[in-house]
Amino acid sequence: MKAKIIQLILSNEKSIMGLILLAVPLAMALVPQLIAPYDPWKTVDRPFLPPSSKHLLGTNDIGQDIFSELVYGARISLLVGFAAAASAVAIGTVIGLIAGYYGGIAEEVLSSITDVMFLIPVLPFMILMAAFLGQGYQNIILAIAAFSWPGVARMVKAQVKSFKNVPFIEAARAIGAGDLRIMFKHILPQLYPLITASTILRIGGAIIAESSLSFLGMGDPTQKSWGGIIYWAMNTGAITSGMWWWIVAPGIMITITVLGLSLIGYAVEEYVNPRLRKR
Amino acid sequence: MSKLTHFLLRKITSRIVVFYVILTITFVIPRMLPGGAFAYLINNPNVPPNMRDVLIKQFGLDKPIIEQYFIFIKEFFTTGNLGISFSRLQPVSQVILEALPWTLTLVTTSVVISAIIGILLGLLVAYKRASKMDVFFVSVAMFLRSMPGFWLGMVLLIVIGFYMHLAPLFGAYTYGVTYATPFEYIADVLYHLWLPLVSLILLTTPTYLVITRNAVLDVMSEDYIMAAYARGLPERNILLKHAFKPSCAAILTLLAMDLGVSLGGAMLIERVFSIPGIGRLTYDAIYMQDYPLLLGVVVYTSAVTLTLVTLVEILQSVLDPRVRLE
Repeated sequence: MKAKIIQLILSNEKSIMGLILLAVPLAMALVPQLIAPYDPWKTVDRPFLPPSSKHLLGTNDIGQDIFSELVYGARISLLVGFAAAASAVAIGTVIGLIAGYYGGIAEEVLSSITDVMFLIPVLPFMILMAAFLGQGYQNIILAIAAFSWPGVARMVKAQVKSFKNVPFIEAARAIGAGDLRIMFKHILPQLYPLITASTILRIGGAIIAESSLSFLGMGDPTQKSWGGIIYWAMNTGAITSGMWWWIVAPGIMITITVLGLSLIGYAVEEYVNPRLRKR
Repeated sequence: MSKLTHFLLRKITSRIVVFYVILTITFVIPRMLPGGAFAYLINNPNVPPNMRDVLIKQFGLDKPIIEQYFIFIKEFFTTGNLGISFSRLQPVSQVILEALPWTLTLVTTSVVISAIIGILLGLLVAYKRASKMDVFFVSVAMFLRSMPGFWLGMVLLIVIGFYMHLAPLFGAYTYGVTYATPFEYIADVLYHLWLPLVSLILLTTPTYLVITRNAVLDVMSEDYIMAAYARGLPERNILLKHAFKPSCAAILTLLAMDLGVSLGGAMLIERVFSIPGIGRLTYDAIYMQDYPLLLGVVVYTSAVTLTLVTLVEILQSVLDPRVRLE
C-alpha cells in the first residue's frame, strides 16, 4: 500500500509539482544549520536593516537575521502542522469507527457531537483552549487537533457503514473475531488510503491554523515559527514602515508549503476516490 | 403540527441546548484553573478591590459551586452579564456588543458577495469544464486557499495602502473627526472597510467557486440530465434549470458550515486593519490576559454563529422539502 502511494505520487504531474514546492521547506526543516547563514537567536547586526547580500531578508527589531529565522521557523511550522493533522485524523478515525461500527446510541451521541463541532466558531475555541493550557507549541498542537477532527469522523463513519456488512467482515465475525479486532484489523486497513489523503490535506490547514494563532499572540515565544515572524513584524510596525520583505517572506513559505501539500493530497485523493478523476 | 414546524422547533431546541452547553463550559473552564474558583480574579492586579467585592457578591463567588452555577446562568439569561473585563474595567457584554457590529458587517457583507461571485463563477467553469478558463479559475482558487487569510490582507495593505495610498493603513473610521451628515460617516467607513472586505472576499470566493463547480458536475452525471440532453435541450438550459437547482442544497450546506470559518477569518483581518471588532478584542484579551473577555468572546461568537447557521438552515428547509424529512 505504502509503495503504491509513493509510486502514485511520483507518477502524477500535480503531485510532482507539489513535491518540488515542498522540497524547500522540507530542506529547511531537516538541515537548517546548513542553510541559515546565522544563528536566528543571536543579534548579528543593527536592527531593521533592509535586505542586502549580507542579510537576504534584512534584520528584525533586535538585529536577528530574518532569513535565518525563516529557515529555522520551518521546523516548528511543519512539526505543528503534521502533529496537529495526524492527531486530528486519529481522533476523527476512532470516533468515526465507533459511530459507524456500533450504530445505535453510540452513533447518535458521537454524530451529534460531530455536528456541533461543525457549528461552533473554531478559531475562538482554539484560542480559548490554547490560552488556558498555557504557552507552548505542544498546546497549540492539542488546540488545533481538538477542533479539526469532525470532517474525518464524518467521512470515516460513512465509509465504515458501507463496509460493516460486506462478506469478509461477516466471515471474520463468524470465526469469532471480536469487535475491536474487526474494527482495527479488518476495517481500518481498508481506510488507510483515505486516511493518508486526508492527513496530507489537513497538514496545510493546521499550518495555517498555527500561523493564525501565532498572529493573534498565542504562539510559543521560545520557538521560531513562520506565524511568529509575521506576528513580530506586525507588532513592530513593519507595514507602516514599508518593510514588506519581513511579512511577505514567511507568508510565501506558508503558501508554497500548503500548496505543495494540497497538490499531493488531491492526487492521492483522486486515486482513492476515482469518481473525482472525471473532474 | 406540520412537518416544517416540527422540524424547525426541533432544530431551534437543539441549538439552544448546544449554546447552553457552551455557556456551561465557559463556567467550568476558569474554575478548573489551579487555585480554583476566583484565583484569576483575586490575583489580577488590574481589578480594584471595590470592584472585586462587587463581582464576588454579584456572582456569589464565595458560595458553593452549584449555587455559583445557577447565579451565572441566571445572570446571563436575564441581563447578558458575563462579568467584568479586567483590561477595560467595563462589563464584558458591553465591550463585546460595541465591537460586534463591525465583525458582523464584515462577515455578512463578504459572505454574501463571495457567495454570489463564487456561485456565478462556479457555474461558468462547470459550463466550460476542462477548458483553459476552468483550469485557470480552479488553479487560482487553490492558490488563494493555500494562503493564510490574514497574510493576504497584510500584503494587500502594504501594496494598496502603503505604496499606492488607495486605502488607509488602519482603523474603521477616521479618529477624532466630526461628521456633518451621516453620509459622510458612511463614506468614511466605506473608505476604511473596502480593502478588508476585498481581502475577505478573495478568501471566501474560492470555496464557493469550487463547491458550486463540483456540486453541479456531480449532478451532471445523473440519468435525468442525460435524458435532458437526449431531448435536445440546449446545454445552458440544462445547466441552469436542471443541474443548478439540486446543487443548491450542497451550496447552502456549505454556507451554513462555513460561517464559523468566515467569522474566524474576519477576526484575523480585523487585527491586520485595526478594525475595532471582535478579532481586535480577542487580540487585546490575549495580550492583557483578560480571561473574562476571552470567555465572553467565545460565548458571543458562538451565539452569533449558531443563530446565523440556524437561519440558513431554516431557509434551506423552506426551499428544499427533503431537508425536513431527515
